[in-house]
Amino acid sequence: MGWEDEKSTLRKKIFSKISYKLTLLFFIVGVVAPSIGICYFYFLTSTIIPKETIAENRFLLESSLIMIISVIAIDTAIIGFFISKSISKPIKILSNATKEMERGNLKIQTDISTGDEIEELSKAFNQASSTLAKLDQNRREIDKAKTEFLSITSHELRSPMTPMKAQLQMLMNGYFGKLTNKQKKSLDIIVRNADRLDKIILDFLEISRIEAARLKFSFKKTDLVELAKEIVDFMDAFAKEKNISLKLKSTKTPIIEADPDRVSQVLRNLINNAIKFSKNNSEIKICIAPEDDHILFSVRDFGVGLSPEDQIRVFEPFYQTEDHSNRKHGGTGLGLAICRGIVESQKGKIWVESPGVGKGTIFYFTIPLKPVREIEPIKVLFSPRTIIEKKLKNEFQTMLGPLGISEFEELKNKNSLWEEDIMSYIDKLTNCYILNENQGDIFKNKIKKIFGDKKDIINDKPNIIKNDEVVKRG
Amino acid sequence: MKTILVVDDEPDIRDSVKMILESRGYTVDTAENGDECLKKIKDSKPDLVLLDIMMPGTPVTEIVKKINDVKIAFMSVVRISEARKKGLCTKDNIVDFIQKPFDVGDLVGRVELILGE
Repeated sequence: MGWEDEKSTLRKKIFSKISYKLTLLFFIVGVVAPSIGICYFYFLTSTIIPKETIAENRFLLESSLIMIISVIAIDTAIIGFFISKSISKPIKILSNATKEMERGNLKIQTDISTGDEIEELSKAFNQASSTLAKLDQNRREIDKAKTEFLSITSHELRSPMTPMKAQLQMLMNGYFGKLTNKQKKSLDIIVRNADRLDKIILDFLEISRIEAARLKFSFKKTDLVELAKEIVDFMDAFAKEKNISLKLKSTKTPIIEADPDRVSQVLRNLINNAIKFSKNNSEIKICIAPEDDHILFSVRDFGVGLSPEDQIRVFEPFYQTEDHSNRKHGGTGLGLAICRGIVESQKGKIWVESPGVGKGTIFYFTIPLKPVREIEPIKVLFSPRTIIEKKLKNEFQTMLGPLGISEFEELKNKNSLWEEDIMSYIDKLTNCYILNENQGDIFKNKIKKIFGDKKDIINDKPNIIKNDEVVKRG
Repeated sequence: MKTILVVDDEPDIRDSVKMILESRGYTVDTAENGDECLKKIKDSKPDLVLLDIMMPGTPVTEIVKKINDVKIAFMSVVRISEARKKGLCTKDNIVDFIQKPFDVGDLVGRVELILGE
């Protein structure tokens, strides 16, 4: 009984470390196998083959030696193969499990019982994966709770506005008797601020709903051309108020999986802006056309246009141009941020081009032809451009010391915080021996990393439009 | 004298709409929820029902199925998408969607248009 226990504990001990297993293997191969071989050889030479005839039987002896060595070699190879398999197979299991997790299947567990360090690794892996799965589950539940909370409170938040505005309007319109001038003025202030409050609540709710509503995209087969036609018809009423004509140009577009409400929202918002910032009696052109892997929408107006600075910042939340139209027409500056949030969460892109102030604007956005599997979180209140600028500032400070900050500010004021401009600035520094070549290269690499993927439109300097042709910079 | 039935779970909204429309010469009755609305319609048929879309009790979609021969205009605080509007317009007697909070002039205009004055 005792010996059985001892044997199994001993086996467990040997198998508990890969290094023990390998040591055992080499011991067998290095000592035992040759020893057997030598014994056999010794046996041959001392018993079977008489001493006198060793010279004659040289062939037999040599071939036996070769045979022994071959057998040892083959056995070693076979044992080695099985031992390495016993190591690589569990590693393959773990690597497959990790790939599964990357695909999103977080609940994966591994079952490895080699008794050694790899089994320990597999146990640790299992714990990690179940913790991850729990965290993910938590996150989903919180999201769901947020959305439910919002849909309840949105009703509550907006309801008081209705009777409030109704009563105020009736007061203003003399339903309850004539008002003195002072009373009218006072009511005016109240009404205006009630409207402001309402708009702010609306925008806030919209953002919260979008940010929490990854769950609520509803993709269905959509005819985007039909959708655009409906929206243009709808917006025509508003356009007529300023005698603006809306022209829709569409190229045959395939029916794709998209969320029609969200696409409408973006298009309506862009057309609304175009109307807002156009003069009376002008024109707004709306185009849809399919391109390689997406559908391109554009809304072009011939109104106030955007300065280069505005072009970059116009998608930032709460950003509004220094234009009087904005004060007049209200708005909280969230419309375009919301549009960007919607478009980018579907892996589309949105951007703007303008020849300059007074020369009109074109807004573009794309919807990919292939629908998105997993919606990315929509970040409306997050501006990639500000984060890039922060990183650039840090890098300038690191590479150039305290001088770096003032250099950074100067480049910013000259609107040169773009990859190509910064690269030529660094070249200048290297040419004047302010930085040596090595430092220059390091600096350039850091800047390249900050700007990241070249396909990201936000990192490209805005294009210039010359005579209706788009001239790409650089 | 055209009669209008205002259905909304919020008393302030019922009162406000009633005040506005009565000042324009309509006879206005109110109901608190879908079931009361159906009862009042059975008792005396109005010319128009202004129906709040989100109310506790029997869902509005069920209520609407039981209202025939009376014009219905929905009122809603929540923004209704075009798609949802299409989904709700299942019958011919549903004639309008009014977004809350509404403009008094807008409300009066729409009602007058519906009742053909």
